[in-house]
Amino acid sequence: MASRLGDSVTLRSALVVAVSLCAPGRAASQEDTARTSSATAAQSTHADQTGRDAPATTEYPAFHLSGFGDVAFSDQNKSEGPRGFSEGQFVLHFASALSPRVNFFGELSFTPRADAGSGTPPATGFNAEVERVIIRFDRNDQLKVSFGRYHTPVNWWNTAFHHGQWLQTTISRPEMVQFGGRFIPVHFVGALAEGTFPAAGWNLNYQAGIGNGRGNVISRAGDAGDNNGRPAWLLNVFVSPDRVFGLQVGGSLYFDRISLAGRPEFSERIAAAHAVWHREDPEVIAEIADVHHQELGGLLAASSLAYYIQTAYRLPSFGRLWKPYYRFEHIDIDAADPVFAGVPNLDGSTVGVRYDISTYAAIKSEVRVRRRVSDQPRMDGWFLQISFTF
Amino acid sequence: MFMLRTTRYRKRWTLLLTLGLLLVRFTPLGAQAGGDVAIVVHPDVPIDNLTVNELRRLLLGDREFWPASVRVTLLIRAPIAHERDVVLKSVCQMTEAQFRQHWIGKVFRAETALAPKIAYSSEMAVDLVNRIPGAITFMDASQVGKGLKVVKIEGRLPGERGYELH
Repeated sequence: MASRLGDSVTLRSALVVAVSLCAPGRAASQEDTARTSSATAAQSTHADQTGRDAPATTEYPAFHLSGFGDVAFSDQNKSEGPRGFSEGQFVLHFASALSPRVNFFGELSFTPRADAGSGTPPATGFNAEVERVIIRFDRNDQLKVSFGRYHTPVNWWNTAFHHGQWLQTTISRPEMVQFGGRFIPVHFVGALAEGTFPAAGWNLNYQAGIGNGRGNVISRAGDAGDNNGRPAWLLNVFVSPDRVFGLQVGGSLYFDRISLAGRPEFSERIAAAHAVWHREDPEVIAEIADVHHQELGGLLAASSLAYYIQTAYRLPSFGRLWKPYYRFEHIDIDAADPVFAGVPNLDGSTVGVRYDISTYAAIKSEVRVRRRVSDQPRMDGWFLQISFTF
Repeated sequence: MFMLRTTRYRKRWTLLLTLGLLLVRFTPLGAQAGGDVAIVVHPDVPIDNLTVNELRRLLLGDREFWPASVRVTLLIRAPIAHERDVVLKSVCQMTEAQFRQHWIGKVFRAETALAPKIAYSSEMAVDLVNRIPGAITFMDASQVGKGLKVVKIEGRLPGERGYELH
Protein backbone atom coordinates (compact mmCIF):
# COMPACT_ATOMS: atom_id res chain seq x y z
CA MET A 1 0.00 0.00 0.00
CA ALA A 2 2.77 2.35 1.06
CA SER A 3 4.69 1.40 -2.04
CA ARG A 4 1.73 2.16 -4.29
CA LEU A 5 1.27 5.47 -2.53
CA GLY A 6 4.94 6.23 -3.17
CA ASP A 7 4.60 5.35 -6.84
CA SER A 8 1.54 7.54 -7.11
CA VAL A 9 3.40 10.46 -5.54
CA THR A 10 6.31 9.90 -7.91
CA LEU A 11 4.02 9.88 -10.92
CA ARG A 12 2.31 13.05 -9.72
CA SER A 13 5.72 14.69 -9.27
CA ALA A 14 6.66 13.69 -12.81
CA LEU A 15 3.41 15.18 -14.05
CA VAL A 16 4.10 18.45 -12.24
CA VAL A 17 7.57 18.62 -13.78
CA ALA A 18 6.05 17.99 -17.21
CA VAL A 19 3.42 20.67 -16.79
CA SER A 20 6.06 23.16 -15.67
CA LEU A 21 8.10 22.26 -18.75
CA CYS A 22 5.02 22.64 -20.94
CA ALA A 23 4.77 26.21 -19.73
CA PRO A 24 8.35 27.43 -20.02
CA GLY A 25 7.39 30.87 -18.88
CA ARG A 26 6.53 34.19 -20.35
CA ALA A 27 10.01 34.95 -21.59
CA ALA A 28 10.28 31.70 -23.49
CA SER A 29 6.82 32.13 -24.99
CA GLN A 30 7.74 35.60 -26.16
CA GLU A 31 10.95 34.23 -27.56
CA ASP A 32 9.03 31.58 -29.51
CA THR A 33 6.66 34.18 -30.90
CA ALA A 34 9.47 36.54 -31.81
CA ARG A 35 11.40 33.76 -33.48
CA THR A 36 8.44 32.61 -35.54
CA SER A 37 7.77 36.16 -36.66
CA SER A 38 11.42 36.69 -37.52
CA ALA A 39 11.57 33.42 -39.43
CA THR A 40 8.45 34.28 -41.37
CA ALA A 41 9.91 37.64 -42.27
CA ALA A 42 13.16 36.00 -43.32
CA GLN A 43 11.32 33.56 -45.52
CA SER A 44 9.36 36.17 -47.40
CA THR A 45 12.35 38.48 -47.73
CA HIS A 46 14.54 35.71 -49.03
CA ALA A 47 11.90 34.39 -51.39
CA ASP A 48 11.67 37.86 -52.87
CA GLN A 49 15.41 38.06 -53.30
CA THR A 50 16.04 34.68 -54.82
CA GLY A 51 12.77 33.79 -56.45
CA ARG A 52 13.00 30.38 -54.80
CA ASP A 53 11.19 28.94 -51.80
CA ALA A 54 13.33 29.28 -48.71
CA PRO A 55 13.15 26.12 -46.61
CA ALA A 56 15.64 27.47 -44.07
CA THR A 57 12.98 28.99 -41.85
CA THR A 58 10.74 27.42 -39.25
CA GLU A 59 7.02 27.79 -38.89
CA TYR A 60 5.31 25.66 -36.30
CA PRO A 61 4.22 22.95 -36.42
CA ALA A 62 7.12 21.93 -38.64
CA PHE A 63 6.03 18.52 -39.90
CA HIS A 64 8.33 16.00 -41.51
CA LEU A 65 7.30 12.61 -42.92
CA SER A 66 9.78 9.88 -43.72
CA GLY A 67 9.79 6.13 -43.86
CA PHE A 68 11.58 2.86 -44.25
CA GLY A 69 10.80 -0.23 -46.27
CA ASP A 70 12.38 -3.42 -47.50
CA VAL A 71 11.83 -6.42 -49.71
CA ALA A 72 13.60 -9.68 -48.89
CA PHE A 73 14.32 -13.13 -50.26
CA SER A 74 15.37 -16.12 -48.20
CA ASP A 75 16.37 -19.72 -48.76
CA GLN A 76 16.67 -21.88 -45.63
CA ASN A 77 17.19 -25.55 -44.93
CA LYS A 78 14.90 -25.27 -41.89
CA SER A 79 12.32 -22.57 -41.85
CA GLU A 80 12.64 -19.84 -39.21
CA GLY A 81 10.55 -17.08 -40.67
CA PRO A 82 9.46 -16.57 -44.27
CA ARG A 83 10.85 -18.39 -47.29
CA GLY A 84 11.10 -17.04 -50.80
CA PHE A 85 10.21 -13.41 -51.41
CA SER A 86 8.70 -11.45 -48.56
CA GLU A 87 7.73 -7.91 -47.85
CA GLY A 88 9.39 -6.38 -44.87
CA GLN A 89 7.92 -3.85 -42.53
CA PHE A 90 6.59 -0.69 -44.11
CA VAL A 91 7.31 2.01 -41.58
CA LEU A 92 6.20 5.63 -41.49
CA HIS A 93 7.84 8.24 -39.27
CA PHE A 94 6.18 11.45 -38.29
CA ALA A 95 8.35 14.15 -36.75
CA SER A 96 6.94 17.53 -35.90
CA ALA A 97 8.44 20.44 -34.02
CA LEU A 98 5.52 22.10 -32.28
CA SER A 99 7.67 24.95 -30.95
CA PRO A 100 11.41 25.44 -30.40
CA ARG A 101 11.05 23.44 -27.19
CA VAL A 102 8.32 20.93 -27.93
CA ASN A 103 8.65 18.03 -30.37
CA PHE A 104 6.32 15.24 -31.39
CA PHE A 105 7.47 11.98 -32.88
CA GLY A 106 5.34 9.09 -34.12
CA GLU A 107 6.07 5.80 -35.80
CA LEU A 108 3.58 3.53 -37.52
CA SER A 109 4.46 0.11 -38.89
CA PHE A 110 2.68 -2.27 -41.22
CA THR A 111 3.96 -5.81 -40.82
CA PRO A 112 3.08 -8.67 -43.18
CA ARG A 113 1.74 -11.70 -41.34
CA ALA A 114 0.57 -15.11 -42.43
CA ASP A 115 -2.29 -14.95 -39.93
CA ALA A 116 -3.36 -11.31 -40.11
CA GLY A 117 -6.76 -11.96 -41.63
CA SER A 118 -9.82 -13.77 -40.35
CA GLY A 119 -11.23 -17.10 -41.56
CA THR A 120 -9.91 -20.63 -41.63
CA PRO A 121 -7.14 -20.86 -42.52
CA PRO A 122 -6.37 -17.23 -41.64
CA ALA A 123 -5.61 -15.03 -44.60
CA THR A 124 -2.33 -13.22 -45.02
CA GLY A 125 -2.30 -9.48 -44.58
CA PHE A 126 -0.71 -6.62 -42.70
CA ASN A 127 -0.80 -5.76 -39.04
CA ALA A 128 -0.77 -2.05 -38.27
CA GLU A 129 0.98 -1.03 -35.07
CA VAL A 130 1.66 2.27 -33.35
CA GLU A 131 5.31 1.65 -32.55
CA ARG A 132 6.19 4.98 -30.97
CA VAL A 133 4.34 8.08 -29.90
CA ILE A 134 6.51 10.58 -28.08
CA ILE A 135 5.88 14.15 -27.01
CA ARG A 136 9.04 15.78 -25.70
CA PHE A 137 9.70 19.02 -23.85
CA ASP A 138 13.23 20.36 -24.10
CA ARG A 139 14.41 22.58 -21.29
CA ASN A 140 18.02 22.56 -22.44
CA ASP A 141 20.66 19.96 -23.32
CA GLN A 142 20.74 18.77 -19.73
CA LEU A 143 17.02 18.14 -19.31
CA LYS A 144 14.47 16.88 -21.81
CA VAL A 145 11.32 15.22 -20.55
CA SER A 146 9.02 13.13 -22.70
CA PHE A 147 5.96 10.94 -22.45
CA GLY A 148 4.71 8.17 -24.68
CA ARG A 149 5.64 4.81 -26.14
CA TYR A 150 9.34 4.25 -26.76
CA HIS A 151 11.87 1.75 -27.91
CA THR A 152 13.16 0.76 -24.46
CA PRO A 153 16.60 2.32 -24.00
CA VAL A 154 18.14 -0.70 -22.30
CA ASN A 155 19.76 -1.91 -25.49
CA TRP A 156 21.75 0.14 -28.00
CA TRP A 157 20.50 -1.62 -31.14
CA ASN A 158 16.91 -1.36 -30.00
CA THR A 159 17.01 2.43 -30.02
CA ALA A 160 19.60 3.06 -32.73
CA PHE A 161 18.04 1.02 -35.55
CA HIS A 162 14.86 -0.78 -34.58
CA HIS A 163 12.49 -0.54 -37.58
CA GLY A 164 15.02 1.33 -39.67
CA GLN A 165 16.27 -1.65 -41.65
CA TRP A 166 18.21 0.61 -43.97
CA LEU A 167 20.03 2.20 -41.04
CA GLN A 168 21.51 -1.08 -39.82
CA THR A 169 24.39 -2.70 -41.66
CA THR A 170 22.93 -6.22 -41.56
CA ILE A 171 19.62 -7.69 -42.70
CA SER A 172 18.77 -9.31 -39.38
CA ARG A 173 18.71 -7.89 -35.90
CA PRO A 174 20.48 -9.64 -33.06
CA GLU A 175 18.01 -12.17 -31.72
CA MET A 176 18.14 -10.71 -28.22
CA VAL A 177 16.24 -7.70 -29.61
CA GLN A 178 14.23 -9.33 -32.37
CA PHE A 179 10.70 -8.12 -33.15
CA GLY A 180 8.27 -9.90 -30.89
CA GLY A 181 11.12 -11.27 -28.81
CA ARG A 182 10.84 -11.76 -25.06
CA PHE A 183 14.41 -11.48 -23.85
CA ILE A 184 14.44 -7.68 -23.66
CA PRO A 185 11.34 -5.52 -23.28
CA VAL A 186 11.45 -3.92 -26.72
CA HIS A 187 8.85 -1.23 -26.02
CA PHE A 188 8.19 0.94 -23.01
CA VAL A 189 5.16 3.08 -22.21
CA GLY A 190 5.72 5.87 -19.72
CA ALA A 191 7.89 8.92 -19.14
CA LEU A 192 11.53 9.54 -19.82
CA ALA A 193 13.96 12.23 -18.65
CA GLU A 194 17.17 12.54 -20.60
CA GLY A 195 20.06 14.87 -21.12
CA THR A 196 23.73 15.28 -21.76
CA PHE A 197 26.56 16.94 -19.85
CA PRO A 198 29.94 17.90 -21.35
CA ALA A 199 31.78 16.30 -18.39
CA ALA A 200 35.20 17.55 -19.49
CA GLY A 201 34.87 16.08 -22.95
CA TRP A 202 33.41 12.75 -21.90
CA ASN A 203 29.89 13.82 -22.95
CA LEU A 204 27.93 12.00 -20.29
CA ASN A 205 24.40 11.12 -21.40
CA TYR A 206 21.61 9.78 -19.22
CA GLN A 207 18.08 8.49 -19.69
CA ALA A 208 15.89 7.74 -16.71
CA GLY A 209 12.40 6.38 -17.16
CA ILE A 210 9.33 5.15 -15.38
CA GLY A 211 6.55 3.26 -17.08
CA ASN A 212 4.20 0.34 -17.29
CA GLY A 213 6.79 -2.32 -18.03
CA ARG A 214 5.89 -5.63 -19.61
CA GLY A 215 2.31 -6.66 -20.15
CA ASN A 216 0.69 -10.04 -19.46
CA VAL A 217 2.25 -11.16 -22.72
CA ILE A 218 5.81 -10.23 -21.85
CA SER A 219 6.84 -9.43 -25.40
CA ARG A 220 4.32 -6.59 -25.32
CA ALA A 221 4.44 -3.31 -23.45
CA GLY A 222 1.60 -2.24 -21.17
CA ASP A 223 -0.05 -0.08 -23.81
CA ALA A 224 -3.48 0.04 -22.22
CA GLY A 225 -2.27 0.40 -18.65
CA ASP A 226 -0.05 -1.32 -16.12
CA ASN A 227 -1.08 -4.91 -15.49
CA ASN A 228 0.09 -5.00 -11.89
CA GLY A 229 0.24 -1.40 -10.67
CA ARG A 230 3.99 -1.64 -10.12
CA PRO A 231 5.88 0.62 -12.50
CA ALA A 232 9.03 -0.37 -14.30
CA TRP A 233 12.15 1.76 -13.86
CA LEU A 234 15.12 2.17 -16.11
CA LEU A 235 18.38 4.04 -16.16
CA ASN A 236 20.69 4.24 -19.14
CA VAL A 237 24.03 6.03 -18.95
CA PHE A 238 26.67 6.31 -21.64
CA VAL A 239 29.66 8.41 -22.62
CA SER A 240 30.90 9.42 -26.05
CA PRO A 241 34.31 11.00 -25.43
CA ASP A 242 35.51 13.81 -27.68
CA ARG A 243 39.02 12.43 -27.72
CA VAL A 244 37.88 9.18 -29.31
CA PHE A 245 35.25 10.39 -31.74
CA GLY A 246 33.05 7.49 -32.78
CA LEU A 247 33.20 5.59 -29.51
CA GLN A 248 30.21 5.12 -27.23
CA VAL A 249 30.31 3.06 -24.06
CA GLY A 250 27.49 2.66 -21.60
CA GLY A 251 25.32 0.54 -19.42
CA SER A 252 21.73 0.31 -18.29
CA LEU A 253 19.54 -1.09 -15.56
CA TYR A 254 15.89 -2.03 -15.79
CA PHE A 255 13.58 -3.12 -12.96
CA ASP A 256 10.05 -4.43 -13.35
CA ARG A 257 7.51 -6.78 -11.87
CA ILE A 258 6.14 -9.45 -14.18
CA SER A 259 2.63 -10.82 -13.78
CA LEU A 260 1.77 -13.89 -15.83
CA ALA A 261 -1.65 -15.50 -15.88
CA GLY A 262 -1.80 -18.49 -13.52
CA ARG A 263 1.73 -18.04 -12.20
CA PRO A 264 3.31 -16.27 -9.22
CA GLU A 265 4.71 -12.82 -9.80
CA PHE A 266 8.38 -12.30 -10.57
CA SER A 267 10.66 -9.35 -10.13
CA GLU A 268 12.84 -8.64 -13.14
CA ARG A 269 16.24 -6.99 -13.18
CA ILE A 270 18.09 -6.41 -16.41
CA ALA A 271 21.70 -5.29 -16.41
CA ALA A 272 23.11 -4.45 -19.81
CA ALA A 273 26.20 -2.88 -21.31
CA HIS A 274 27.33 -1.81 -24.73
CA ALA A 275 30.42 -0.59 -26.53
CA VAL A 276 30.04 0.83 -30.00
CA TRP A 277 32.56 2.16 -32.47
CA HIS A 278 30.16 3.56 -35.02
CA ARG A 279 32.57 4.80 -37.64
CA GLU A 280 32.60 2.49 -40.60
CA ASP A 281 36.30 1.73 -40.87
CA PRO A 282 35.75 -0.39 -38.89
CA GLU A 283 32.31 -0.58 -37.28
CA VAL A 284 32.18 -2.56 -34.05
CA ILE A 285 29.06 -3.13 -31.97
CA ALA A 286 29.11 -5.27 -28.84
CA GLU A 287 26.29 -5.71 -26.35
CA ILE A 288 25.61 -7.95 -23.41
CA ALA A 289 22.55 -8.30 -21.18
CA ASP A 290 21.81 -10.34 -18.10
CA VAL A 291 18.15 -10.86 -17.23
CA HIS A 292 17.45 -11.99 -13.66
CA HIS A 293 14.04 -13.19 -12.49
CA GLN A 294 13.20 -13.75 -8.83
CA GLU A 295 9.94 -15.33 -7.74
CA LEU A 296 8.17 -13.07 -5.27
CA GLY A 297 7.59 -14.91 -1.99
CA GLY A 298 9.43 -17.92 -3.37
CA LEU A 299 12.92 -19.28 -3.80
CA LEU A 300 13.02 -19.60 -7.56
CA ALA A 301 15.67 -17.38 -9.13
CA ALA A 302 17.05 -17.57 -12.64
CA SER A 303 19.48 -15.63 -14.77
CA SER A 304 19.77 -15.68 -18.55
CA LEU A 305 22.54 -14.14 -20.59
CA ALA A 306 22.74 -12.89 -24.15
CA TYR A 307 25.43 -11.09 -26.08
CA TYR A 308 26.60 -10.36 -29.59
CA ILE A 309 29.50 -8.73 -31.31
CA GLN A 310 29.29 -7.37 -34.82
CA THR A 311 32.10 -6.04 -36.96
CA ALA A 312 31.95 -4.42 -40.36
CA TYR A 313 34.31 -2.51 -42.58
CA ARG A 314 33.46 -0.13 -45.40
CA LEU A 315 35.94 -0.88 -48.15
CA PRO A 316 37.80 2.27 -49.21
CA SER A 317 37.85 1.25 -52.88
CA PHE A 318 34.92 0.82 -55.31
CA GLY A 319 33.46 4.17 -54.31
CA ARG A 320 33.11 3.12 -50.65
CA LEU A 321 29.93 1.27 -51.59
CA TRP A 322 30.75 -2.19 -50.22
CA LYS A 323 30.66 -3.11 -46.57
CA PRO A 324 31.31 -6.72 -45.52
CA TYR A 325 30.25 -7.74 -42.02
CA TYR A 326 30.20 -10.52 -39.48
CA ARG A 327 28.23 -11.05 -36.28
CA PHE A 328 28.40 -13.71 -33.61
CA GLU A 329 25.58 -13.97 -31.11
CA HIS A 330 24.83 -16.15 -28.14
CA ILE A 331 21.74 -16.60 -25.99
CA ASP A 332 21.78 -18.80 -22.91
CA ILE A 333 18.37 -19.17 -21.29
CA ASP A 334 18.16 -20.58 -17.78
CA ALA A 335 16.05 -23.71 -18.15
CA ALA A 336 14.58 -23.12 -14.67
CA ASP A 337 13.16 -19.74 -15.64
CA PRO A 338 9.37 -20.03 -16.14
CA VAL A 339 9.19 -16.45 -17.47
CA PHE A 340 11.38 -17.41 -20.41
CA ALA A 341 9.78 -20.82 -20.99
CA GLY A 342 9.94 -21.52 -24.71
CA VAL A 343 12.59 -18.90 -25.46
CA PRO A 344 15.28 -20.79 -27.39
CA ASN A 345 19.02 -20.75 -26.87
CA LEU A 346 21.22 -19.69 -29.73
CA ASP A 347 24.73 -19.87 -31.02
CA GLY A 348 24.74 -18.12 -34.34
CA SER A 349 26.95 -16.50 -36.91
CA THR A 350 25.93 -14.08 -39.62
CA VAL A 351 28.26 -13.14 -42.44
CA GLY A 352 27.33 -10.89 -45.30
CA VAL A 353 27.94 -7.82 -47.36
CA ARG A 354 26.08 -4.56 -47.86
CA TYR A 355 26.16 -2.65 -51.12
CA ASP A 356 24.82 0.90 -51.18
CA ILE A 357 23.12 1.30 -54.52
CA SER A 358 22.31 4.93 -53.73
CA THR A 359 22.55 7.28 -50.78
CA TYR A 360 19.17 6.05 -49.57
CA ALA A 361 18.98 2.40 -50.67
CA ALA A 362 21.10 -0.68 -50.08
CA ILE A 363 21.25 -4.32 -51.13
CA LYS A 364 22.38 -6.71 -48.43
CA SER A 365 23.18 -10.40 -48.71
CA GLU A 366 23.95 -12.60 -45.74
CA VAL A 367 24.33 -16.20 -44.65
CA ARG A 368 23.14 -17.25 -41.21
CA VAL A 369 24.35 -20.34 -39.43
CA ARG A 370 22.44 -21.10 -36.24
CA ARG A 371 22.37 -23.84 -33.69
CA ARG A 372 19.62 -23.96 -31.06
CA VAL A 373 20.60 -27.09 -29.18
CA SER A 374 24.15 -28.41 -29.07
CA ASP A 375 23.41 -31.93 -30.33
CA GLN A 376 20.90 -30.82 -32.96
CA PRO A 377 21.80 -30.03 -36.60
CA ARG A 378 22.47 -26.44 -37.63
CA MET A 379 20.01 -24.26 -39.44
CA ASP A 380 21.53 -22.55 -42.42
CA GLY A 381 20.02 -19.90 -44.62
CA TRP A 382 20.84 -17.39 -47.31
CA PHE A 383 19.08 -14.03 -47.25
CA LEU A 384 18.88 -11.10 -49.61
CA GLN A 385 17.29 -7.75 -48.86
CA ILE A 386 16.75 -4.43 -50.57
CA SER A 387 16.18 -1.79 -47.93
CA PHE A 388 15.58 1.90 -48.33
CA THR A 389 14.47 5.08 -46.69
CA PHE A 390 12.31 7.72 -48.28
CA MET B 1 75.16 28.02 -78.80
CA PHE B 2 72.30 25.61 -77.99
CA MET B 3 73.87 24.76 -74.61
CA LEU B 4 74.16 28.46 -73.72
CA ARG B 5 70.46 29.07 -74.50
CA THR B 6 69.41 26.06 -72.42
CA THR B 7 71.43 27.29 -69.45
CA ARG B 8 69.75 30.74 -69.71
CA TYR B 9 66.31 29.16 -69.71
CA ARG B 10 67.19 27.08 -66.69
CA LYS B 11 68.44 30.15 -64.79
CA ARG B 12 65.29 32.08 -65.71
CA TRP B 13 62.99 29.29 -64.56
CA THR B 14 64.97 28.77 -61.36
CA LEU B 15 64.68 32.51 -60.61
CA LEU B 16 60.93 32.52 -61.27
CA LEU B 17 60.43 29.45 -59.14
CA THR B 18 62.42 30.96 -56.27
CA LEU B 19 60.45 34.20 -56.49
CA GLY B 20 57.21 32.24 -56.51
CA LEU B 21 58.17 30.27 -53.43
CA LEU B 22 59.25 33.45 -51.61
CA LEU B 23 55.94 35.08 -52.54
CA VAL B 24 53.98 32.18 -51.08
CA ARG B 25 56.17 32.07 -47.98
CA PHE B 26 55.87 35.75 -47.10
CA THR B 27 52.34 36.49 -48.25
CA PRO B 28 50.27 37.76 -45.26
CA LEU B 29 48.06 34.94 -43.99
CA GLY B 30 45.05 37.17 -44.21
CA ALA B 31 45.34 37.14 -47.96
CA GLN B 32 44.74 33.35 -47.90
CA ALA B 33 41.53 33.68 -45.94
CA GLY B 34 39.51 33.00 -49.08
CA GLY B 35 40.34 29.31 -48.61
CA ASP B 36 39.34 29.28 -44.95
CA VAL B 37 35.83 28.51 -43.80
CA ALA B 38 34.42 30.89 -41.20
CA ILE B 39 31.92 29.83 -38.54
CA VAL B 40 29.29 32.54 -38.22
CA VAL B 41 26.58 32.82 -35.57
CA HIS B 42 23.64 35.09 -34.88
CA PRO B 43 24.91 38.25 -33.15
CA ASP B 44 23.09 37.40 -29.92
CA VAL B 45 24.68 33.96 -29.50
CA PRO B 46 26.80 34.30 -26.35
CA ILE B 47 29.77 32.40 -27.74
CA ASP B 48 33.07 33.78 -29.03
CA ASN B 49 35.13 30.62 -29.26
CA LEU B 50 34.45 26.96 -29.97
CA THR B 51 36.71 23.95 -29.95
CA VAL B 52 36.60 21.62 -32.93
CA ASN B 53 34.92 19.03 -30.72
CA GLU B 54 32.23 21.50 -29.67
CA LEU B 55 31.70 22.48 -33.28
CA ARG B 56 31.36 18.83 -34.25
CA ARG B 57 28.72 18.27 -31.59
CA LEU B 58 26.79 21.26 -32.94
CA LEU B 59 27.01 20.09 -36.54
CA LEU B 60 25.95 16.57 -35.62
CA GLY B 61 23.04 17.76 -33.50
CA ASP B 62 24.45 16.36 -30.27
CA ARG B 63 24.33 19.80 -28.74
CA GLU B 64 21.01 21.56 -29.32
CA PHE B 65 21.19 24.58 -27.03
CA TRP B 66 23.48 27.55 -26.52
CA PRO B 67 24.05 28.89 -23.02
CA ALA B 68 20.91 30.59 -21.70
CA SER B 69 18.94 27.75 -23.32
CA VAL B 70 18.65 29.32 -26.75
CA ARG B 71 18.03 26.59 -29.30
CA VAL B 72 20.67 26.07 -31.94
CA THR B 73 19.44 26.44 -35.52
CA LEU B 74 21.90 24.81 -37.87
CA LEU B 75 22.14 26.28 -41.35
CA ILE B 76 24.33 24.23 -43.65
CA ARG B 77 25.35 24.78 -47.23
CA ALA B 78 23.88 22.54 -49.90
CA PRO B 79 25.93 19.55 -51.11
CA ILE B 80 28.90 20.18 -53.42
CA ALA B 81 29.58 23.57 -51.79
CA HIS B 82 33.26 23.79 -50.88
CA GLU B 83 32.45 24.93 -47.34
CA ARG B 84 30.31 21.87 -46.75
CA ASP B 85 33.07 19.57 -47.93
CA VAL B 86 35.58 21.24 -45.61
CA VAL B 87 33.33 21.03 -42.58
CA LEU B 88 32.28 17.43 -43.21
CA LYS B 89 35.83 16.23 -43.70
CA SER B 90 37.76 18.23 -41.14
CA VAL B 91 35.16 18.59 -38.39
CA CYS B 92 32.63 15.78 -38.73
CA GLN B 93 35.14 13.32 -40.21
CA MET B 94 32.39 11.97 -42.40
CA THR B 95 31.59 11.50 -46.04
CA GLU B 96 28.51 13.14 -47.51
CA ALA B 97 26.64 9.81 -47.34
CA GLN B 98 27.63 9.24 -43.71
CA PHE B 99 26.52 12.75 -42.76
CA ARG B 100 23.13 12.23 -44.37
CA GLN B 101 22.72 8.83 -42.71
CA HIS B 102 23.70 10.35 -39.39
CA TRP B 103 20.91 12.92 -39.59
CA ILE B 104 18.33 10.42 -40.82
CA GLY B 105 19.23 8.28 -37.82
CA LYS B 106 19.03 11.27 -35.54
CA VAL B 107 15.47 12.04 -36.60
CA PHE B 108 14.61 8.33 -36.56
CA ARG B 109 15.72 8.01 -32.94
CA ALA B 110 13.46 10.95 -32.05
CA GLU B 111 16.48 12.91 -30.85
CA THR B 112 15.43 15.88 -32.93
CA ALA B 113 12.43 16.80 -35.03
CA LEU B 114 14.32 19.25 -37.21
CA ALA B 115 17.19 18.29 -39.46
CA PRO B 116 19.66 21.05 -40.47
CA LYS B 117 18.28 23.71 -42.75
CA ILE B 118 19.85 24.15 -46.15
CA ALA B 119 21.35 27.46 -47.26
CA TYR B 120 21.70 27.44 -51.04
CA SER B 121 24.17 30.33 -51.16
CA SER B 122 26.41 32.38 -48.92
CA GLU B 123 24.01 35.31 -49.33
CA MET B 124 21.15 33.20 -48.06
CA ALA B 125 23.29 31.94 -45.15
CA VAL B 126 24.23 35.52 -44.23
CA ASP B 127 20.64 36.65 -44.44
CA LEU B 128 19.27 33.87 -42.26
CA VAL B 129 22.03 33.70 -39.67
CA ASN B 130 21.37 37.36 -38.92
CA ARG B 131 17.62 36.86 -38.66
CA ILE B 132 17.18 33.59 -36.78
CA PRO B 133 18.13 33.68 -33.08
CA GLY B 134 20.54 30.89 -32.21
CA ALA B 135 21.52 30.30 -35.84
CA ILE B 136 24.96 29.04 -36.79
CA THR B 137 26.34 28.58 -40.27
CA PHE B 138 29.65 28.36 -42.10
CA MET B 139 30.84 30.18 -45.20
CA ASP B 140 33.93 31.05 -47.18
CA ALA B 141 35.89 33.53 -45.08
CA SER B 142 36.29 35.87 -48.04
CA GLN B 143 32.51 36.34 -48.13
CA VAL B 144 32.14 37.35 -44.50
CA GLY B 145 30.86 40.92 -44.48
CA LYS B 146 30.72 43.57 -41.81
CA GLY B 147 28.34 43.02 -38.95
CA LEU B 148 28.61 39.25 -38.95
CA LYS B 149 29.74 37.52 -35.79
CA VAL B 150 32.58 35.15 -36.60
CA VAL B 151 33.42 32.59 -33.94
CA LYS B 152 37.01 31.62 -33.18
CA ILE B 153 37.87 27.97 -33.58
CA GLU B 154 40.40 26.77 -31.03
CA GLY B 155 41.15 30.44 -30.33
CA ARG B 156 41.88 31.38 -33.94
CA LEU B 157 40.01 33.35 -36.55
CA PRO B 158 40.04 32.58 -40.27
CA GLY B 159 43.29 33.70 -41.84
CA GLU B 160 45.30 33.28 -38.66
CA ARG B 161 48.10 30.78 -38.59
CA GLY B 162 46.93 27.39 -37.39
CA TYR B 163 43.26 27.92 -38.25
CA GLU B 164 41.90 24.45 -38.89
CA LEU B 165 39.00 24.91 -41.28
CA HIS B 166 40.32 25.22 -44.79
